[in-house]
Amino acid sequence: MAELSEAQVELVSAYIKQNGVAQDELHDDLLDHVCTSMENRMQQGESFEEAFQYTLSLFGPGGLKQVQNETFELLTEMNATMKKVTFGFGLTSTFLLLAGTIFKLMHWPGANIMFMMGAVILALIYLPLILRHKLKESPNNEALLHLSGFVGLAFTTVGSLFKIMHWPGASVLLMVGMGTLAFIYVPIYFYKRYQTSANKPITLSASLVAMTCLILVFALMRVNNSKNYDFGLTLIDAQLRTSVENTSNNNLLYSQLENESKAGEIRNAASNAINQLLLTRATIIASVDNISMKEASKLKLSDVRNSSDFKTPTDILFNATDGESVSIQSLVDELNAFKEVAVGTYSPNLQQQVEATFPFNTNATFTKDGEQIAWAEYSFYKVPVIGVLSNLSKLESEIRQAENQALIYLISRPEASNPPS
Amino acid sequence: MYSQELIKGTLKTIVLSLLSEHDRMYGYEITQHVKEKTSGEIQLTEGALYPTLHKLEAEGLLTTEKVSIGKRVRKYYRLTENGNKQANDRVNEFRRFTETMNNLLNNFNPNPKLSWLN
Repeated sequence: MAELSEAQVELVSAYIKQNGVAQDELHDDLLDHVCTSMENRMQQGESFEEAFQYTLSLFGPGGLKQVQNETFELLTEMNATMKKVTFGFGLTSTFLLLAGTIFKLMHWPGANIMFMMGAVILALIYLPLILRHKLKESPNNEALLHLSGFVGLAFTTVGSLFKIMHWPGASVLLMVGMGTLAFIYVPIYFYKRYQTSANKPITLSASLVAMTCLILVFALMRVNNSKNYDFGLTLIDAQLRTSVENTSNNNLLYSQLENESKAGEIRNAASNAINQLLLTRATIIASVDNISMKEASKLKLSDVRNSSDFKTPTDILFNATDGESVSIQSLVDELNAFKEVAVGTYSPNLQQQVEATFPFNTNATFTKDGEQIAWAEYSFYKVPVIGVLSNLSKLESEIRQAENQALIYLISRPEASNPPS
Repeated sequence: MYSQELIKGTLKTIVLSLLSEHDRMYGYEITQHVKEKTSGEIQLTEGALYPTLHKLEAEGLLTTEKVSIGKRVRKYYRLTENGNKQANDRVNEFRRFTETMNNLLNNFNPNPKLSWLN
């Protein structure tokens, strides 16, 4: 029996390794197989090259690589339980995310918790399971593909969750996730497809379309989707501020009440409350846009650059340390102080009614996503700059209104015509 | 020659039964044996056996012995105790399957009278 020389065996071995059979055990099997087959052919008088070509042709179009792929597939086949568990997690997370979306749209309670659980199961259980399986079943040189796919999807999912929950850092997570998908996963994926595809031009154009779509989504995400809403708020704010300017011209009324101590009290309380509002407004603008208080106090809402920042106002108002002049507590205190003075202006039999119809009520509670929250949280907690500022403007306008009404009452009340001596 | 689809489902049974006949065999030997025994009716693409062999080894049905032949290593496959049991089960199961299929196909009529035509 003709035996291959050591050099010839080395040659075949090198060929097998070069053709993608990385696994040692399989390499040994195939090397022996090919060599034995060649030895048989050479026995019948074929040359080394002829026998080599013939033997390789028996492996079919997929070649040696196909043998390795099939081996990997068989060895890493998920067993039935594993398949069920993975599928179960996938189904649960999809269901939760879908239900969360519907609940959110219908404003039913529990939407957020569904979102949270769905995203957590998807990103922390389902995707890692799939990744583990993919890494096991495919050759090492595809690890980057699967890893980037996993990182991209996991970050995008968690980023979306953060975005929906208005948690800080959402944009960064989304950027990392979608960036990984668009610039690492998709190019690698299509490069691999391109290498093995029969119709290269079509694969190439398909990959370009996919890339463009992803990059478009990426770009659209950066353009704030709630521009219309923001624009509406800016418009309302501008109107409110104009109305504040008009009603603040209460000097004529005050001049008629020069001897009335009550009028002086109202004037003080109103200006204290308004000063607090303006101080809060300027502090927030100065902080988000990083400008001086003086510039900030003159800035219109439409000129505030970082108007969608919802973290800074909450930090300033709710995490204020004792003794800081701007905080939610000092705002509420000033508003209530004014309200007390304004309501106290009216005769006792009217006070209850005036209080009930007063423009603002800091003790009110609201229902949001099925939970009861206080007025302060509802109006300012995790509300973006644009919302906080327009709420402040609204309060300013309401104070001026209440001040105006109280003054008119003072002038027109019955006692006014017969002042007590 | 049978379709690949048919062969795929029976590959494990073929390997296990061959190995129960012989004490130990190496991959090339198994391929050639299948070819000879079935006079080419079951033709595996070269190397198609190895995925199955490795899978059976991973499942603990086969063990390997390595014998070096010059510069290369020859791997002999041998049934384990568990493998022997599995071989019996599988072959028996397959026999019953062919019987059932026979019974089922015995009444096959290649020229059915289409009664609705009359």
